[in-house]
Amino acid sequence: MKERTIWEQIADSFRSRSIWMLHYCTGCGAMELPPTMTARFDMERFGIAPMATPRQADILLITGYLNTKTLRRVIYTYEQMADPKYVIGFGSCTINGGIYFDSYSTINRLDYYIPVDVYIAGCMPRPEAILEAFNYLMEKIRKGEADGWKRYRENYDWYKQNQIRSLGEVYVHDEFHE
Amino acid sequence: MVAAYKALFNLVVAFFLVLSLEGIGRKITARIQRRIGPPWYQNFIDLFKALSKHPFSNGWIFDFGVLMALGGTMATAMVIPMGSAFWTPFPNSDNFFVIMYLFAVGALGMAMGMVGSGNPWSSIGVSRALTQMLGYELPYLIVISSTIFHYKTASIHKLIEMQRGGWNLLVMPLGGIIAFVSLMGMLGKKPFDIATAPAEIASGPMTELSGKYMGLLHIMHVFAIFVEISLFVDIFLGGGNFGWYLVKFIVVWVLAVMISSVLPRFRIEQMIKFYWGVPLGLAFLNALFVLLGWTL
Amino acid sequence: MTNSMSNLVKILESFNPFVEEIDEKEIKITVSPDKVVAVLETLKANGYSHLSLMTCVDWIDDNQLELVYILFSWEDGGKFLVSTRIDRSNPKFVTVKELWPVARFYEREIHEFFGVEFEGNDDMKPLFLELWDERPPLRKDFDPRDYSRKKFPDREYEKDVIKEAKIFRGEING
Repeated sequence: MKERTIWEQIADSFRSRSIWMLHYCTGCGAMELPPTMTARFDMERFGIAPMATPRQADILLITGYLNTKTLRRVIYTYEQMADPKYVIGFGSCTINGGIYFDSYSTINRLDYYIPVDVYIAGCMPRPEAILEAFNYLMEKIRKGEADGWKRYRENYDWYKQNQIRSLGEVYVHDEFHE
Repeated sequence: MVAAYKALFNLVVAFFLVLSLEGIGRKITARIQRRIGPPWYQNFIDLFKALSKHPFSNGWIFDFGVLMALGGTMATAMVIPMGSAFWTPFPNSDNFFVIMYLFAVGALGMAMGMVGSGNPWSSIGVSRALTQMLGYELPYLIVISSTIFHYKTASIHKLIEMQRGGWNLLVMPLGGIIAFVSLMGMLGKKPFDIATAPAEIASGPMTELSGKYMGLLHIMHVFAIFVEISLFVDIFLGGGNFGWYLVKFIVVWVLAVMISSVLPRFRIEQMIKFYWGVPLGLAFLNALFVLLGWTL
Repeated sequence: MTNSMSNLVKILESFNPFVEEIDEKEIKITVSPDKVVAVLETLKANGYSHLSLMTCVDWIDDNQLELVYILFSWEDGGKFLVSTRIDRSNPKFVTVKELWPVARFYEREIHEFFGVEFEGNDDMKPLFLELWDERPPLRKDFDPRDYSRKKFPDREYEKDVIKEAKIFRGEING
């Protein structure tokens, strides 16, 4: 790993204390976020706030299974986010497919298509586990180890090739937008 | 030269005061909702993080619009008197109309840049923001006009001096309340955060802002809040020396935060109906009282 | 069977249906394919005007596809399931989009997942799947596991965790 300059270290410590997550949810993990946000677990005390658009967000939560149709939109969303950006995969569906391991439209592992910084095991993970993952991610960012966005740049061809293998093509053709 | 230092001091105070107050506001909202909430310096971290990111640009109109918004609002913050004639950087040009026109530069810059990003949500957000301005500025300007008529001056620091005998809020309580309701709309706090409604139009004008642009617009927002609350404190609460001015500023901000943290959001046409209903009528009534000389 | 429903069944007897009573307010009527539209029209004229669902079942052993129309009445809360069986190797049927415009989308879906052609409905763009390159996925002879293996690579584990778990549970001897 390359040595970080002093400015990058300062910037990383700011980034770790202010994580804006994209308010985009797939699958069933969306249900675990309201308790994480609201009074019981209150993730705002770590500086984690929901943001409405990918341009403003730092962190993309993949909350559960992803089918091919959604994966196209997720790749679009991920590429729209500004560097540095981080991804958290929720639950067993993003790790190895979970109960959808043999589905004809659901992907089996997420890090094959976009780089993932932290995985949370469980089906679904409880809010405690989510907060634990956020803390782990903050620790990683502070140390400069959360470098998924750099890996995506360096291995862009590999990721694109995998995306095309599973999706056919990445472009979204939507009858409501044409 | 002294004026330049004072103007710079204005900017420094605005930056640190409002950014801390925004953090305190988040904390207050959190406590009202029985959460712990972020630390008071959270907004400093957010701002510097936003400035440390690698943003996307959407063309030179977009870049220029963001800079124009920031520049216009900073220029406005420079001419605002902070509570007394001594803390007035430019005593000859702190006229209310000068401030209103300078303030419009920032708003127009924001509208231009955000529409230049080409995102439909941005355009909808900008049109909502301009509609909202139409809503709250009408009662606000009528109240301010009656104030100016009553004191026979439009210079802010002279208005402050005229209020030695009693705050304008006490002289025309109706007008003060209307001005506060309009202030809530100006600040874009909760019942009136229609322009940036994150759940409906994806934070409106800010949809395409990433990284540094977001940071710059955050700074612009900080100065805008400074201008709006300072005007209210100066015109209606009688300013005061620097300490009193800060106390009044904080009280107005905390009141606005507490009101906004318990209210849901209006729809755009409800907001217009609200402002052009009772507040506008009361503002006219207030103007009538001032014309007839029935002030306290 | 409620009174009004048994009256309707009597009216429908001219189509010589096979009537099954599923429960008190739910009746399944199986008719031959050429009489389906007439039965649906009769039911619609007699209060069963709401097309709740239109779906399909694959009977691979009989080499048949079963089309099911579920009609609901807002007047007495009853349900009629009108079912028919068509040939599986060359599935063709007529559209009911003139009776219920919403049937357009159900027919698109059935076309997409079972490969049934609906004559008269020429809007057969895929509704859910994007860039589908296999046989229709809800047919019984489609192997989703095989397709998933081909398209979506699995994670390779360094050790066989499932075997370890079985040893741990005492199901097999390690």
